[in-house]
Amino acid sequence: MTLTREEAKQRTAILKQVRDQHQETVDRTRARLKDQQTVRRQICQQLRGGPKIVPEIAEATGLPAHEVLWHITAMKKYDLVVEVGQCGEYYQYAMAKETES
Amino acid sequence: MTVKNVHVDVLVVGGGIAGMQSALDLADQGYRVALVEKEPSIGGKMIMLSKVFPTLDCCSCITTPKMSAVAHHDNIELLTYCDVQAIGDRPGGGFVIDVVQKPRYVDIDTCTGCRQCEYVCPIDLPSQFDRELGAVRAIRVPFSTAVPQKAFLDIDNCILCGKCQQACPVEAIDFAQQPETFTVEAGAIILATGFELTPAGAKAEYGAGELLNVVDALVMERLLAPTGPYGHVLRPSDGKEPDSIAYVQCAGSRDKTLGVEYCSRVCCMYAIKQAMLLSGALPLADITIYYMDIRTFGKGHEQFYQNAKAMGIEFVKGKVARITEDEDKNPVVRVELIEDGSKVVERAHDLVVLSVGMLPGYNPKSLYGVPVADDGFAAIPAPNIRPSVTPKPGIFVTGAAAGPMDIVDSIVLAGAAAAEAAAYLEEVRTPSPQRAAIEEAVHA
Ligand SMILES: Cc1cc2nc3c(=O)[nH]c(=O)nc-3n(C[C@H](O)[C@H](O)[C@H](O)COP(=O)(O)OP(=O)(O)OC[C@H]3O[C@@H](n4cnc5c(N)ncnc54)[C@H](O)[C@@H]3O)c2cc1C
Ligand code: SF4
Repeated sequence: MTLTREEAKQRTAILKQVRDQHQETVDRTRARLKDQQTVRRQICQQLRGGPKIVPEIAEATGLPAHEVLWHITAMKKYDLVVEVGQCGEYYQYAMAKETES
Repeated sequence: MTVKNVHVDVLVVGGGIAGMQSALDLADQGYRVALVEKEPSIGGKMIMLSKVFPTLDCCSCITTPKMSAVAHHDNIELLTYCDVQAIGDRPGGGFVIDVVQKPRYVDIDTCTGCRQCEYVCPIDLPSQFDRELGAVRAIRVPFSTAVPQKAFLDIDNCILCGKCQQACPVEAIDFAQQPETFTVEAGAIILATGFELTPAGAKAEYGAGELLNVVDALVMERLLAPTGPYGHVLRPSDGKEPDSIAYVQCAGSRDKTLGVEYCSRVCCMYAIKQAMLLSGALPLADITIYYMDIRTFGKGHEQFYQNAKAMGIEFVKGKVARITEDEDKNPVVRVELIEDGSKVVERAHDLVVLSVGMLPGYNPKSLYGVPVADDGFAAIPAPNIRPSVTPKPGIFVTGAAAGPMDIVDSIVLAGAAAAEAAAYLEEVRTPSPQRAAIEEAVHA
């Protein structure tokens, strides 16, 4: 749907106003997002080198294994990561794009 | 958003299985019902479960049809993401209830549930529905089988980037939404506010919630559910497929140190159920249940227990004194065996499941004037003859709000509460001396 200029302006104004009202939670969530992006970058870097299991990623990045699992689970849910098979007692994960090509 | 003032025969509070069943039982008989649920979707705990004892029916297959029946019933006004704020007596009988609609920041009539907003949202948060093992976005349709299938925004965990608004194809997102108060007039009220679980940190001896591979049974329900966070049963510390799983029974029930002296009635059966499901999902895994005694009093329950034993699930009679973990994060269970001369042994497992108890979730005293009993659940003055009648005339109770009970009992009591509410409405309209005598006996 295309907005008129006036509508688009109004939207931006409302968003800014709501942002001002929620400054504290916005700041907290921004910090959270930053951390999330840092961790994701590390995990993706590992997965670009080929499919991996959680302990491998944890060891290579120094991140706690349960955190790696949580992020992998999140990325899998939103189609960024796929499960590609099982390796012993662990499942292996890969970047979604790599498996497509 | 269009919120109007609602006139109904009965207000049902809580949209778990018990509340949904009472609402349907009344609505099917022509009564007008409003169902108020504090969460953005109805379904309660039941929609989180994998399969149900003792039939092993797929839980979402039997819950989802009820949820949509509630949403589509002509006689039911479904009020999700709403809180009851105040209750007053209506002149001439009944109640006037102030309800606040919390802002979803999404227009519920326009939203199609396409989830495009959710896919562009950059924030991943621990999913309460998946007991924090999975993730959700700040804006989301609550879960895959949610009713209504409509998005809502968790504004306290949002950076207000506006991406969702750009992505929504039908312009449903409205950051300017405010809470809106409206009134419900009802002749009677049914409380179906359900239960909560023993909190993770309750028992220091069991790791106080700090041990990653000691989880509660609702976590295991999510791990076993086809829609669960991992899609497999994996342990949370590192994603390993567990080879040895143990259950600790009465973890939060029959425990004086926690002030919970009662038996939660469902934990033996759900542990046996999960053990059976696990032996299907992980055929090679060893499954142990540490118990004090197994209580299988319901229809078909004892047979269920015997089947589990025949399947090779190990039942160990003993009291678990402590759970610690080794360097590989394997939980180590220290158990005092009851049958083997009180010997104390330590056994390591990959994953330990605490069969946590059912605790009262909501105290209806201040808002509804319904007192609670010693166990913290709604007081029921005549449990033998009128198990859904509270001390407050016109207010009834069903499901786990009345005390720990399984789904079957919740449904039975829901029917009873519906019948009591209907009888009460009739009584107000045309009083009868016989009923007056019964009322007097109950409320004396
Ligand atoms: C791990 C586990 C496994 C189980 N497995 C089985 C099984 O296999 N078979 C079986 O028969 N039973 C099982 N049970 C028991 C079953 O979950 C309960 O019997 C059932 O969920 C009770 O339903 P309810 O509607 O009373 O409560 P709930 O499911 O708790 O629903 C209450 C609803 O009310 C809402 N609410 C609460 N307070 C308010 C308020 N103040 N205002 C508005 N809304 C409110 C809540 O958000 C919720 O939606 C299991 C329980 C557990 C913990
Ligand atoms: S993008 Fe719009 S229509 Fe689709 S789920 Fe989100 S709010 Fe609803």
